[in-house]
Amino acid sequence: MAENTLIRFLESNIPIEKSAVSAYVSTLKIRKVKKGEQLLKQGDICQHTFFVEKGLLRYFSIDKKGKENVLQFAPENWFITDRESVYFNQPSKYYIDALEDSEVLVLEKNFVEKISEQNNSFEEFNNKLLHNHIRSLQKRIELLLSATAEERYLDFIKVYPNLLLRVPQTLIASYLGITPESLSRVRKELATKHKK
Amino acid sequence: MITKKVELVVAPKEPHFVGDGFRVHNFIPSGFRLDMKRMDPFIMLDYNSKYNFPPSKEPKGVGVHPHRGFETVTIAYKGKVAHHDSSGGGGVIGEGDIQWMTAASGVLHKEYHEENFSKAGGIFQMVQLWVNLPAKDKMSAPKYQAIQNKTIKKYPIANNGGEIEVIAGAYKNIKGVASTFSPIHMLNAKLKTGAKADFSFPNTYNTTLLVIEGSITVNGLEKVPTDHLALFENTGEHFEIEATDDAIVLVLSGEPLNEPIAAHGPFVMNTKQELIDAFNDFNNGKFGYLE
Repeated sequence: MAENTLIRFLESNIPIEKSAVSAYVSTLKIRKVKKGEQLLKQGDICQHTFFVEKGLLRYFSIDKKGKENVLQFAPENWFITDRESVYFNQPSKYYIDALEDSEVLVLEKNFVEKISEQNNSFEEFNNKLLHNHIRSLQKRIELLLSATAEERYLDFIKVYPNLLLRVPQTLIASYLGITPESLSRVRKELATKHKK
Repeated sequence: MITKKVELVVAPKEPHFVGDGFRVHNFIPSGFRLDMKRMDPFIMLDYNSKYNFPPSKEPKGVGVHPHRGFETVTIAYKGKVAHHDSSGGGGVIGEGDIQWMTAASGVLHKEYHEENFSKAGGIFQMVQLWVNLPAKDKMSAPKYQAIQNKTIKKYPIANNGGEIEVIAGAYKNIKGVASTFSPIHMLNAKLKTGAKADFSFPNTYNTTLLVIEGSITVNGLEKVPTDHLALFENTGEHFEIEATDDAIVLVLSGEPLNEPIAAHGPFVMNTKQELIDAFNDFNNGKFGYLE
């Protein structure tokens, strides 16, 4: 049962009565997304939050020169959405697509209320998730403003320990705001440093 | 001596591409009853059945990726593969050759169609097998054995019936050229139509065969056609194959390590923590660097 991933995720974070939450979770739609398929595109009003059961999603923008800039990757157990669009009902400036064949739980706008109805500790947990998200965004701003390529890379592998094997270097470089050549140089230097 | 019976004959699954250069049917571990535990110490078997690759200026293959905790064995039946790894190993293998890479504590490597083969295109046929390493050897130094066909000793079958190439382990009085970390027999049986060969392995060893070319009958009973795999029961020691067409058969038998397996992608370790360490080491460049 694919739904179990979200339940397992919740279980490991809040005290929940399985039956109550699974009753709600079992009403959620699982969407199978092929590699390359879009879940959100610029101009759409984002209707959902996605929870990645399996696979990998990417949240990105396309700038005036046509260059793609990766804001976030979402592997298994990550929530992803365009908060500006979904909560403020604005047309999105962003895109979400699948970097691998994926299975995502499609959460309606009111899912926080819905799960909270079943289990009030979810509200507190959701707050924690939000604060955590803001903390990562703050760190990302700081890294992009002032950190070296190596510092950015070291942070990336802490946040996403297994993505290096799954994502082309060009996309990682885009996420880090550096050129693929710089990323390659950083990785080469790290390897030299660690050579026994 | 008790006969070792065939437990099941497995047809090749829908192929998928590994990189853009290997069109493979996976047998181990995704096949029915062919999981890592059952096939221990053989933890992965991808079979690129005969496939015609059109000429390509850019060699097709798989880019730089890491491995830790096991050995990769590539057996070339048609076509040529070039290999490079971060421990300095590398080379080209062609028809009948074997590349035996001990990833152990970790290497980065890449595998591509050899340049001239790529330019000309043609029929490509390979097996890639992952052999698990005992826990005590998982973090040993990487090693690379390039085994040319002419260095593989062959056991002749009576009446010009063909020969058994002994890649690893032993067949009758002939010893295999490859060195292994646990007891493994790896043989290529090349048999003319009607020729027979008999094999004997301890009943505890996990034993399987893959028909690369032609077709065979096992123990006079079970028919195994081209591109099919036969898995043997863990009772009995002895079995016989007969070629019903000129055949090439890869025969594998290995003593199970019976150790816990924690596997994720290109890392096969014993515990979850060791997998996490593998990711960290890889991310931090401890596997070296390869362009």
